[in-house]
Amino acid sequence: MQKKLKILLIEDDMIEKMKLNRTTSALQLDHEIIEANNGEEALQLLENKDNLPDIILLDLNMPKINGIEFLGILKKDDVLKYIPTIILTTSNNQKDLLECYKIGVAGYVIKPLKYEDYVSKIEKLLAYWSVNELIVV
Amino acid sequence: MSQNQVELLQRALKREKAARKAAEKILEVKSKELFEANQKLQDINLQLETSLTQADSQLQGVFENIVDAYVITDLWGNILKMNDSAVTLLGFEDANEDFNLLEMLDLKEKDKVESWFKGMLKEGSSTDFQVNITTRDKQQKLVHINSSLIYDNDIAVAVQGIVRDITIQNKYKKSLEAERLKYSNIIANMNLGLIEINLEGKIIMINQSFSDMSGYNQEQLIGFEAKDVFTLDNEEAELIEEEKRKRVKGESNSYEIKVQTKAGDDRHWLVSGAPNYDLEGKQIGSIAVTLDITDFKILQNQKEKLLTKLEKSNDELQEYAHIVSHDLKSPLRSINALVSWLKEDNQGKLDDVSLQNFALIETTLEKMEQLITDVLNYSSVGAQTSPQADVNINNMVLDLCQILYVPEHINIKVLNPLPIIKGDKTKLQQLFQNLISNAVKFIDKPEGLIQINVVDLPTHYEFSIQDNGMGIEKKFHDKIFKIFHSLNKSKDSTGIGLSIVKKIVDLHEGEIWLESEPKVGTTFHFTLKK
Repeated sequence: MQKKLKILLIEDDMIEKMKLNRTTSALQLDHEIIEANNGEEALQLLENKDNLPDIILLDLNMPKINGIEFLGILKKDDVLKYIPTIILTTSNNQKDLLECYKIGVAGYVIKPLKYEDYVSKIEKLLAYWSVNELIVV
Repeated sequence: MSQNQVELLQRALKREKAARKAAEKILEVKSKELFEANQKLQDINLQLETSLTQADSQLQGVFENIVDAYVITDLWGNILKMNDSAVTLLGFEDANEDFNLLEMLDLKEKDKVESWFKGMLKEGSSTDFQVNITTRDKQQKLVHINSSLIYDNDIAVAVQGIVRDITIQNKYKKSLEAERLKYSNIIANMNLGLIEINLEGKIIMINQSFSDMSGYNQEQLIGFEAKDVFTLDNEEAELIEEEKRKRVKGESNSYEIKVQTKAGDDRHWLVSGAPNYDLEGKQIGSIAVTLDITDFKILQNQKEKLLTKLEKSNDELQEYAHIVSHDLKSPLRSINALVSWLKEDNQGKLDDVSLQNFALIETTLEKMEQLITDVLNYSSVGAQTSPQADVNINNMVLDLCQILYVPEHINIKVLNPLPIIKGDKTKLQQLFQNLISNAVKFIDKPEGLIQINVVDLPTHYEFSIQDNGMGIEKKFHDKIFKIFHSLNKSKDSTGIGLSIVKKIVDLHEGEIWLESEPKVGTTFHFTLKK
């Protein structure tokens, strides 16, 4: 049985946010999407420990706190470090990839050029995480 | 004649007779005594003679067997006697030759000899006289003479001398002196500072260069300790002490220190020191050679700074390329999504021309995306330093043929087993991938053939990738390796692929060139260092 996921999308680009929303609704997935424009905003949202997301989709290139810095902060937090964080980025920089896995990510997905490919990738990603057992804090 | 007279005469005669007899008797006795005495004297004489002969032959023996040359001359230098050693030394055939020793003398030595001889006449003997001679057999020698006069009844009659050949000894001494002079000249004039210290660490000698280097003269340094004069801080002083301790233990050492000269300039010196021993092998201190390496140090620092800077700017450039490519790619994704939504939301409402235009937008986006990827790849070649490893080109090419899209009508043949190359695997793969896919791309014949081969050269491997495609005109052969020089405006050609190929070949210390005939085909040749 597929779980209904609470997804925190940390993304500064408006169209990217629209893409995820449109994809989930087109696929008729009943997931809840919370949006944060950047790391700072996300950290504020995460302060409310009663309403933590199941997974985090994180863009790397963002103003203020960038993705990798945000990831570092997350992993230092005793509670937040358990939330699976998947990188969703256009950067295929090997250095970023290595750094992310070093700090600890649950996945690294590169945004494809074509929207259809994007839909397909997101569908698989969400399907995977919705069959996973997740820690409830 | 009277009786008396006769008797008188007779008596007188008798007396006379008796007296004569007595005299004869005395004479006889005396003569006997004389004979005996004579006899004795003869005996003694004989004995004396024998012992004299003995002494003489003993002397002769000594004279002959003496190792040093021994010569007796008269007061005018004519040889009276000499031993075998003298014969050899003075170059005679035998001891019996008549010769005047003065003939052996050099004219230049005349005054010296004169004053020596005068001195000897006055004193009776002389020692340590040295003179240059030309021997009988024309050899130049330096001899040392100890001599004395021989007297007869207090009158000087002859000269005896013991002569030693000191030519070699002298030569040795001279060459030793020459060597000493040579080295002291080297020490004085070399660009290296030289400093000698005793066991307490006090300076006992410096050369001119050291004085020039440090700005201090001898008087200002001798008796002082180097660490007190030159060091700026405890760290450097401790270093000098530490190195000194090593030398006391008998170790030679070499180290760099920072010093302050008299003028107050900071300089870097390279110091090479070694323990110094006396003739008995007892350590008496150490000697160190110092070289001012300040300029070298400055250059080295500059180089290091430049390298760090270069590394940083390389990293920054790389980072910049990634950010730019990300920032350029993101809008492409957005446009693509928006176009998809427009199509989705207006399904059935759009005419064919609009749909075709949407398709064109999508193709353009793809091309743009490819261009950005290629530019990023191009800037990454050479920037990233991956470890060098043994790369099996044969396996790599076989893998590539599986991965790459190769249409049915094109056949790829590897003519000989490809070698193992030391290099960067990802880049080598990109190199072959670009060339093979280029070949695939430009084949316009119904039966395509791509042949890959290798030739083993002394330091390199020469690879060739031959196709039977459309070929390239001669005038473009140089241009095609330049960035953005795409000869064919097609959707999957950005004009960067061959520039990347060239860069990778350069990285592997090789060269790339091509042979081509339009409409027949092209062969790319390139070399890679073994």
